[in-house]
Amino acid sequence: MRETFEHTADLGLRVVAPDLDTLFAEAAQGLTSMIVANLDQVQLVREVAFRVPGTARDELLFDWLNEILYAFESGHLLLARFDVNVGDTGLEATAQGEPLDFDRHQLEHEVKAITYHGLKVEECDGGWLAEVIVDI
Amino acid sequence: MTKDVYHGPLEKINDCCWRIPKSYKPGMRVDGLIYANDELIEAIKADQAPEQVANVAFLPGIQHASLAMPDIHWGYGFCIGGVCATDPNEGGVISPGGVGYDINCGVRLVRSNLFYQDVKPRLKPLVEEMFRRVPTGVGREGKYHFDPKELKRLMADGPGRLVERGLATPGDIDHTEARGRLDGAEPENVSERALERGKNQCGTLGSGNHFMEVQVVDAVFDDEAAAAMGLEKDMVCVMIHSGSRGLGYQVCDDALKLLRGVPEKYGITLPDRQLACAPVESPEGRHYLGAMRAAANYAWCNRQLLMWQAREAFESVFGEPWQGLRMNLVYDVAHNIAKFEEHAVGGKSRRVWVHRKGATRAFPPGHPEVPDVYRRIGQPVIIPGDMGRASWVLAGQEGSMEQTFGTACHGAGRVMSRTAAVKHAQGRRIDQELERKGIIARARSWKGLAEEQPDAYKDVNLVVDVVHRAGLAKKVARMRPIGVIKG
Repeated sequence: MRETFEHTADLGLRVVAPDLDTLFAEAAQGLTSMIVANLDQVQLVREVAFRVPGTARDELLFDWLNEILYAFESGHLLLARFDVNVGDTGLEATAQGEPLDFDRHQLEHEVKAITYHGLKVEECDGGWLAEVIVDI
Repeated sequence: MTKDVYHGPLEKINDCCWRIPKSYKPGMRVDGLIYANDELIEAIKADQAPEQVANVAFLPGIQHASLAMPDIHWGYGFCIGGVCATDPNEGGVISPGGVGYDINCGVRLVRSNLFYQDVKPRLKPLVEEMFRRVPTGVGREGKYHFDPKELKRLMADGPGRLVERGLATPGDIDHTEARGRLDGAEPENVSERALERGKNQCGTLGSGNHFMEVQVVDAVFDDEAAAAMGLEKDMVCVMIHSGSRGLGYQVCDDALKLLRGVPEKYGITLPDRQLACAPVESPEGRHYLGAMRAAANYAWCNRQLLMWQAREAFESVFGEPWQGLRMNLVYDVAHNIAKFEEHAVGGKSRRVWVHRKGATRAFPPGHPEVPDVYRRIGQPVIIPGDMGRASWVLAGQEGSMEQTFGTACHGAGRVMSRTAAVKHAQGRRIDQELERKGIIARARSWKGLAEEQPDAYKDVNLVVDVVHRAGLAKKVARMRPIGVIKG
């Protein structure tokens, strides 16, 4: 389950998933869906590998989302599908997507940054819950 | 954290000011003070912004009070519309969250010798030309490209550097806060990632609440001050709102990462991680300050290049050089910044770090940092409203030095969340609604326009009224929008 939630000036992202791997993958997809309105139009033609160190799960989520944001900001790479493996000392992931194409991709928000405000990764009834507010 | 209503204490001091006493939370070092009238305070209580004012009062070395302007709304860590001054001699801290991700986001106002009747017949082609020339929206790069070496020179020197490239004039620099250059910038403290994000974005507007507007002066409230600024009724102006783009966002992000665990190292207890800070006189604090100043100087270059492209659009549509159109910069102000300034605290003069997060410097007449041409009237304070109603230009007054560390508001302030604004706009064409009111708006994204619709903001006239009555800045002129470009 993925949804955006209200924040006066910015946007919140809430994800519930049965396990941490899915939680992190869904959160990354949620971030890309804030940048591009038609996520289904992002073709999976390029694959990138990530390795993000970290033991605190909320900070790991923060750093992971930052990597996805930086891939877009620096190389205009829109990543739409994620295979994530969260371990005790960090995560390893592959992400698939394609470079931004102004003719096909309907851009929606410029995400300035991921914030620590209200950042959480915790166990819940359905498995795991993540909340993060991004600066628009 | 959810959008809860604030239930804490708020004591009315007078018609313009409310107090959150420092007894509200153990750990608050000073009171919180919110500038608002009875109507605005009701909207302010609707979310957690007052709680954030109280949280900022925890910061070591904070002086006088944790302050909030009438356009205050819920931010992350600091509220937007917040002001906090810390004294390094009392263990004062610097907090990147008190500046914000968009370091030196700010506004500039350009006047012209064109009047509404001159521009009205050519308004649509003018807005189209601006939209064609000025890069707006996500992922759009500018026409100006700077290699890392030149980028670092811009960060060290600000838009003064652009004079020699023929992209700025000495007059532009004279009419920019701090002359567009904060001393002590350390471009070497800016990461490779920040340089990468910033290299093609200088001269781009961005998205969100950033805009470029064609405006008309529709009321003058102070003839002397308006004349000093070169403004008169029915005159056409251009207002530009943008900041340090990806470079600044990355500088803030890098600093927050560097500050993980740092407050604990210095024995600082904080109620919100986004308030992360370090003593000014610490390696971490000094590192951030060098990078923040570099990003601020970059932001002034960005707004300079945006203005340059606006001038080119006018030249193209009106067939006359911008100098002939007298498109002079009235002033440029930062509203996300930290600056080391001299203020009287408890009757003594002190140098303090003033954090302005969504708040504008408003120095009074006679202040040495106000350009000569404005020395008699006070520093121009430029307040963007929303794209359907009004924006303002004010002049700083003595009350700002007495009450708010030389600060006034920065805008209207949001009253509706982005998601609520999109729901509110369902089935509507905001651009067509604006056109019926005589405003031509162009944006890259329907959702972007919906999120920024006039109803999403407080009435800027109410906000400005509080600032005027509190004596922080006086009303000079009100402008109404006639053309808008956005991301």
